[in-house]
Amino acid sequence: MRPRLPRIVTAELLKLATLPVVLSTGVATIAAAPVLAALSGAAAGTHAFGIVAGTVPFLQVGPILLGVLAAGGEYTGGQVRTTLTAMPRRLPVLAGKSAAALLVLLATGTAAAAAGAVTARSGRAPAFGSVHVAMGIVAHLVAMGLLALALAVLLRSVLRPLAALLTLVFVASPLLGGLTEKAYLLPDQAGRLLHDPLPGTTPGTWTGVVVLLAWLTGVGAAATAAFLVRDA
Amino acid sequence: MTRIRHVVAAELSKLLSLPSTAVAFAAMVLGPVAVTFLNARNAAYTDPAQAVLSAAPIGTVGAIVLGVVAMSGEYRSGPQESGGGRQITSTLTAMPHRAWLLVAKAIVVVLLVAVAAAFAFLLALVCAHHVLGGGEAGGVPARLFGAAAYWAFTALIALAVTVFTRSGILPLIVLIANGSLVSLSYLLFKVAPAARYLPDLAGIRLFADEDHLAMADALDPVTGGLVMGAWTTGLLAVAALVLHRRDA
Repeated sequence: MRPRLPRIVTAELLKLATLPVVLSTGVATIAAAPVLAALSGAAAGTHAFGIVAGTVPFLQVGPILLGVLAAGGEYTGGQVRTTLTAMPRRLPVLAGKSAAALLVLLATGTAAAAAGAVTARSGRAPAFGSVHVAMGIVAHLVAMGLLALALAVLLRSVLRPLAALLTLVFVASPLLGGLTEKAYLLPDQAGRLLHDPLPGTTPGTWTGVVVLLAWLTGVGAAATAAFLVRDA
Repeated sequence: MTRIRHVVAAELSKLLSLPSTAVAFAAMVLGPVAVTFLNARNAAYTDPAQAVLSAAPIGTVGAIVLGVVAMSGEYRSGPQESGGGRQITSTLTAMPHRAWLLVAKAIVVVLLVAVAAAFAFLLALVCAHHVLGGGEAGGVPARLFGAAAYWAFTALIALAVTVFTRSGILPLIVLIANGSLVSLSYLLFKVAPAARYLPDLAGIRLFADEDHLAMADALDPVTGGLVMGAWTTGLLAVAALVLHRRDA
């Protein structure tokens, strides 16, 4: 019988929904967005989505943790063996897991961006601003979450990919940003180009999209290959 | 009487056999060396020692990871096939005196951070001298020790916080996010100046020169070091109490 992807996605969604830590991460992310937007030190006259865009460097912790938990959670206590007993075809499992995570990430990212923007608008923002910026914010958050998922599959752990990505986002990226102009090749800085582009023409939004897709494809391909070939 | 020497040896062997320890060690050594090299090559600093000191913050991440995994490894569930047990039960069976256990863990963490700091700063100094040529600044050796002390305090705070949470996720997020260049404490400091007594900001001048610091009126190195040390001691004391009172 051919594996039915919708069923696998449902199973994975159910798994995510029953992990208390996933639920609290999602809620905390959505709750953090308005708080960060209210505390933001953005210049007066910045549009609401512009203010939210400024908080994304902190906000992206939420999607990163969601992505890591979605995949890495399988490896604490050996749940992955139960999963693969129920559904031995590994490619559909990975596809279903990614689709489920994508849905959760989209919902969390959209809700967080909306909550942040409404707070900013009711505060001092003169207008909501461009819908492109809003889409850029959500795309950045979702992409970081998917990257986290791929890295967690590759490293088969929760803490290792989490430490790696947090280091990238909070330490390596700001540090290298001050040292080299090529820092936009890092995933989080490429994501920033989607909603908070640097003044000037290059590198622009589409450069950011291409760099992010390259990271997702690269790490995703390595994770898929490892998941297909390796012992669980 | 418990021989602390044996407990330390056991904890050292346990921590050294964790793969994450190797990663943390690499982050503490290679991170600062790489950043020193970039600093020196971009001629961001003319003084080699200053180039090394400005690379010290990146090693803090390694120290955080080391402090966290020293404790979080105890609480991770094993494979279901072998009962899904956690290591903490074996550890406490072998070593029922919980306060000494925490002391041993703290000693091991400080030991490893010290070794990593020695390697990191020597390699980075050699690297910076090679790129920049000579040049000496007063008070720099003291500040390299200050940087190592900052790493050690940070690792111990990570250890203590992981005792409270029994999982590495929260301490990793809070401490690494706070170790960033735009740290939460720094944002808080801009609103409330009393935030300079928070552990990470209090100790900042242990390694950072006043001229290279975005923060105005940070605590001086000695006061700041003492404040950070007091935070560390306090958190470890509470951690010992929690570990002692709570079910494993």
